[in-house]
Amino acid sequence: MASTVEIASSFIEGAPPGELADVVADVQTLTEGEDIIPQLAPAFERYNESQLTTVKLPGSSQEVIVSEFNKLEGNRYFDSESQTSFEMDHITQTASAAQSAPLESQNADLIKSLLKSLSIHAREHYSSCSYGVYPIENDSAVAILLVANKYSPNNFWNGRFRAIYQVPVSSSSTTVTGKIHVHVHYYEDGNVALNTAKPVSASVSSLSAEAIMSRIAAAERDYQEELNRAFVSVAEGAFKGLRRQLPITRQKVEWEKVGGYRLGQDISGGKGR
Amino acid sequence: MADAQFDSALDLLRRLNPRDTKANLQAITKIVPDLTEDLLSSVDQPLEIRQCKQSNRDYLLCDYNRDGDSYRSPWSNEFDPPLEDGTVPSERVRKLEVAANDAFDVYRELYYEGGVGSVYFWDLDDGFAGVILLKKGVTPGSQSSGAWDSIHVFEATDRARMSHYKLTSTVILHLSNESAALGEMDLSGNMTRQVEVDLPVESDASHVANVGRLVEDMELKMRNLLQEVYFGKAKDVVGELRSLAPLSETNRDRATQLEMIKSMQK
Repeated sequence: MASTVEIASSFIEGAPPGELADVVADVQTLTEGEDIIPQLAPAFERYNESQLTTVKLPGSSQEVIVSEFNKLEGNRYFDSESQTSFEMDHITQTASAAQSAPLESQNADLIKSLLKSLSIHAREHYSSCSYGVYPIENDSAVAILLVANKYSPNNFWNGRFRAIYQVPVSSSSTTVTGKIHVHVHYYEDGNVALNTAKPVSASVSSLSAEAIMSRIAAAERDYQEELNRAFVSVAEGAFKGLRRQLPITRQKVEWEKVGGYRLGQDISGGKGR
Repeated sequence: MADAQFDSALDLLRRLNPRDTKANLQAITKIVPDLTEDLLSSVDQPLEIRQCKQSNRDYLLCDYNRDGDSYRSPWSNEFDPPLEDGTVPSERVRKLEVAANDAFDVYRELYYEGGVGSVYFWDLDDGFAGVILLKKGVTPGSQSSGAWDSIHVFEATDRARMSHYKLTSTVILHLSNESAALGEMDLSGNMTRQVEVDLPVESDASHVANVGRLVEDMELKMRNLLQEVYFGKAKDVVGELRSLAPLSETNRDRATQLEMIKSMQK
């Protein structure tokens, strides 16, 4: 049987965008009397790294990403654009102890040009987002991350868009692989969630920032168009197939004469499913 | 603290993935076992189907037709596994229950064109109460599927030649879609709405018609609401997160528009 810490950890990791503090408060009330939060530190860390949590660097208004790709020793992470490393308090989601961290990578030029192209792409398609490009896998590849959050708790909705790409750095051609996740939560008198995961794979003919970013931009555009089409096809397909808006007669049920329907048309005995 | 814990449990279930409500509810009751009964009676979950041994017809299971580990079939009025002294409605309310099951069977066929339905009534000191359950699942393509569960709980309180109805309706709607171009898409959730109204009652038959119309109106309203939230709101939020059109163009268009408005005001 799962322990209280395991259960509480799964709640933390399942927190919807922008609602971690609410989930933490609920967990605290449910486990009253136990000081459980410190024991959940690993769950907070997994949440922050997988959800690409953003934190403000000390003394700066800039938000930087926390992920498995820019992790250093201990609870430190680094940001390649500002060339800064910082310590992360996973539970309070705050950064401290910032230090200069020059980008040391044989792909430093590529990373810098990717950051430049990515910043243009981000400005064109995200009204607010954070991004990062980091050397990974012993400097043999780069990770490109982007996260956009929109929180509107007063209107009972929150949303998050995450894109995680990896590009092996080879002599000439390469392949961008990755995943796009969209999470929308709507909770006025209910609880409705959209959760998506779209794997991306696109070959790039030349190892230039422009070529890589143009494939990423195309993949994101294609996906968003496909998702918009899916909203329509699910509404027209599965949703319509579940319950009609009106009976085929286009008339509401005549409840006083409801027995009469049985004479006029043979109801299929209710054995359908 | 029990009340605060109950509220926190409900708040948590309103936030965590609605696909996992059943598992999360069980997990919460492992942490706070005292909440089990209250949570099971106030958190709606997808309905389970069982076949009536007497009539061979399917019926739906919920807290309202449960007695211990047995469930009462609306078709036979018998419990499964059998119970000697299981709680059943009074003769008058059972008659109403049978009539309501007949009526909602027609309703189900007209609106759902399939699925399973069950109506359960029980006696109150100054009237009666009941629950109307409807369930349907579809798999139009192998990669896409959907499930709808309606749970309508009402109380009918006697007044002079009138009855006061209070209806609480929940619809649980799960939709999912998968393809190479789309990846995985899951749209799941539940919404709850309430309505209270006084309606004239001439005879017991009026009750079936009154409750029928209330449920029919409510489901129409909720279907429209679900459509708006699932396919309108969700899509809008995606558009807020990421703009398909380049924002520089959008901003330029907006600036041009503002200029035009300004010049027209001059």
